[in-house]
Amino acid sequence: MDNSIATPIAEYIAGVILKNPKRVIRPDEKLISSGLIDSFHLVDLGLFIEDKFGVRIDDSELNAETFDTLEQLVALIASRR
Amino acid sequence: MLATETSPSAAVGRLVLDQARARNITLFVASVLAAYALQPAMPIRQMDFWLPTASLALAVIIWAATSPALAAHHRPDRATLTDAAIIGGIVLGVAALRFVEPLEGLITRTPPPAVPSVLVALAIVALLALAAGRILGSRPAWTTILVVGLTALLFALKFEPLTQALAATLRAAQGQAAAQASALDVRWLGFSYIFFRLTAALRERASGRLPDMSLREFVTYAVFAPALIAGPIDRPERFVKDLRASFAFNWPDATEGLRRIATGAFKKFVIADVLALFALNEANAAQVQGAGWTWLLVYAYALRIYFDFGGYTDIAVGIARIFGVRLPENFNRPYLKPNLTQFWNCWHMSLAQWFRAYYFNPLTRALRTRAWAMPAIVFLGQVTTMLLIGLWHGVTPNFAIWGLWHGLGLFIHNRWSDFAKARLVIPPERPRLQQAVNIAGALLTFHFVALGWVWFALPDVALSLSVFARLFGL
Amino acid sequence: MMLDRPSALRILAKALALFVALNVLFALLNPLPALGRLSLYNVVWPGRARLPYGDDPAKSYNLSLFDLNAMFASHELAGATKRDDEFRVLLIGDSSTWGWLLRNEDTLAGQINAMRLKTADGRTVRAYNLGYPIMSLTKDLLVLSHAVEYRPDLVVWLVTLESFPANEQLAHPIVQRNADAVRALIARYGLRSQPNDPALVTPTFLDRTIVGQRRALADWLRLQAYGALWGATRIDHHIPQTYEPAQRDLEADSSFKGMQPPTLPKDALAFDVLDAGIRMADEAGASALIVNEPILISPGRNGDVRYNFFYPRWAYDQYRALLQAHLAARGVAYLDAWNLVPQEEFTNSAVHLTPKGTRLLAEALAGTITGRR
Repeated sequence: MDNSIATPIAEYIAGVILKNPKRVIRPDEKLISSGLIDSFHLVDLGLFIEDKFGVRIDDSELNAETFDTLEQLVALIASRR
Repeated sequence: MLATETSPSAAVGRLVLDQARARNITLFVASVLAAYALQPAMPIRQMDFWLPTASLALAVIIWAATSPALAAHHRPDRATLTDAAIIGGIVLGVAALRFVEPLEGLITRTPPPAVPSVLVALAIVALLALAAGRILGSRPAWTTILVVGLTALLFALKFEPLTQALAATLRAAQGQAAAQASALDVRWLGFSYIFFRLTAALRERASGRLPDMSLREFVTYAVFAPALIAGPIDRPERFVKDLRASFAFNWPDATEGLRRIATGAFKKFVIADVLALFALNEANAAQVQGAGWTWLLVYAYALRIYFDFGGYTDIAVGIARIFGVRLPENFNRPYLKPNLTQFWNCWHMSLAQWFRAYYFNPLTRALRTRAWAMPAIVFLGQVTTMLLIGLWHGVTPNFAIWGLWHGLGLFIHNRWSDFAKARLVIPPERPRLQQAVNIAGALLTFHFVALGWVWFALPDVALSLSVFARLFGL
Repeated sequence: MMLDRPSALRILAKALALFVALNVLFALLNPLPALGRLSLYNVVWPGRARLPYGDDPAKSYNLSLFDLNAMFASHELAGATKRDDEFRVLLIGDSSTWGWLLRNEDTLAGQINAMRLKTADGRTVRAYNLGYPIMSLTKDLLVLSHAVEYRPDLVVWLVTLESFPANEQLAHPIVQRNADAVRALIARYGLRSQPNDPALVTPTFLDRTIVGQRRALADWLRLQAYGALWGATRIDHHIPQTYEPAQRDLEADSSFKGMQPPTLPKDALAFDVLDAGIRMADEAGASALIVNEPILISPGRNGDVRYNFFYPRWAYDQYRALLQAHLAARGVAYLDAWNLVPQEEFTNSAVHLTPKGTRLLAEALAGTITGRR
């Protein structure tokens, strides 16, 4: 997993979405299907990724099927850069 | 996935390829035929022929409007013409059954129209498809027109005064008494779900993400027999992936499919049908006496709708599975979820997913980039999404209230969890407390949803209010 | 889960074997009578005030079935403990006793209970409605054979000529589908019906499997489910706003069941079944009261030939005389209420009473009931 992608995303999820900067996001932790990230913050996460990495995640891709863990998300971003 | 997939033997490989082709043709032909066979008869003559034909026509026209390949080559290729000929052949074949007396009524419930008028209809559809390809093929953004058109049609079919007007027009066209028109005259089997599949394709095309699908693949996707009546709602990209994956009939998928069918049949035809005998409905809502009994009927309705729809989904998923198609799931133990947000992540999931992808996410994104305050976005996003989901069931005050009920519920839960997230954290060393909170949350959520069904199950506001009054002994 | 073909086939074969084994076991053990006694009524749902019967389940929250065990288990009688001061009265009869087009409080049993009668020795009269909308004395006897288990003090048996024809005793599905029980009654009471009568349904082995009994199983399940709506609404019968009133203008036809005047032969009537019922009540320690139920005496056209749709005058008059003489000879209590109710108090049939008509009958019965023992 590319930490240059993973670390900012993990920090964003913990600090901004979960409002708990000390929270550790494990690479294989279920983010969407577990309800950890709700649908509003999912859109925010998409916008954040677009800003930060210049990779567009389409509205129809914001679901657990496309990515449910940090690992999968990082792989998706890496594949599109 | 399959043992044979990795087989080095070329002969086996060809066999698998042939099986996949045979399977795809079977699914294609069977789905087109099923669109006619499953459509119930209606008081308007020949409607049980024309409505399935209209489903197919919409699929063909929207394929033409969205096919990247057709747009690139400007004219249909050989495979497309073959597929179009197969569809036309089946439609004509269904119509021609009126001449074969022992087979009459085999596919359609009532005698189909005469062959010449079917030929004219087919020609019109072909012309419309060519025009759609010409005009929209190179302008994906313009496909929004078709989304608007489909939505208007859906609205006409869900809003009783309009449906009645439509019925009157159709009756007049068939030379029947327009005065007797009723909304029940136009029960277009599967259109509610065909709408979602076709709009999904149009939106994906507009965003440039629609895979290049053959006409055959697209029509199979739009009217896929197991999912025709009540979903699940698949996405084009996912569906076509299954159609193109190598396939060989295999026992693991077949046994799993049969298991799902058996479970689904038990849920739907035993559990749901027994619960239906005493689930809340228009008649018994006015007759029930006492709060306790009223609660019982509401609980029965809540469980019945879950087992009925869940059982139906199991059957659809099971049938598709035997043919190597993995339809998306619709339910994931929704009534055991600790809050309303998670409930909606696990109830009619393919519908919720559709609304997220094509309505809620774009809306949220737009408002987010306009820097609206988060609570305002959440309110607008949740409430309008749920309102639309409510109205999709029918444009009535009760379905609207049901949608608002859930929209406001989701908004309140969102605000609460936002508030509690930083303040009320249950430490991981207290799993018992977490468990207790989850159970209490699940009970609360279930009751919120169950009370919501009081709006959903009954036809008018006054009756629902009287049920609420009885539930709470007012 | 990865299954290869042989193991998948093995699973299917096992499932099939299990299915066959369960069906064979079911047919051998015949658990339906035991299942019938198992009931949510009187435990979760309140017991029913009358036996289950309904031809429009969606409206009446009630259904017709053939399993007498399940029918009785759903009745409030099955859940009622008899107190020492209860004088238990069981009402047996046809649809007029069951209370067609009547709410439970308006049926004969409902109105007798509303009177709060006391017997001479101070016991409280409690009447139970065991009517069933079929006109056959053999059906009545079948119902009574279950009812006597519930310690009656008095069996009130309401009869009418239409229940008597000997050759129609078995002409009803509920009788035919309880063939074993009917045969046992024939044997025990020496009834004239034939135990090998082809009308009596003898189930084959396949009929007794789960597949063969799926209708009975589904009926049992639906009966249990409808208990919720019975409890919730207290509705067990759909009473329409309007109905076709009983026929007043009659055909000038003097025949009765193919018989012509002048004589109604006594052996054409099932007095043997009546005697069996009286004996059955006696064996259970209860006394019997036979009531000739009120009929519509029609004021309309051809009223001089017929009393009503069912009965030509000659046949009915002779039936009354025969019944009177028969019971007098045996010293059985008898109330002839045939002309008790004026014609305007009949509803959709010549034996179905309005609440007011039923009230007249209840009042007539009250004295007879409280005067006993």
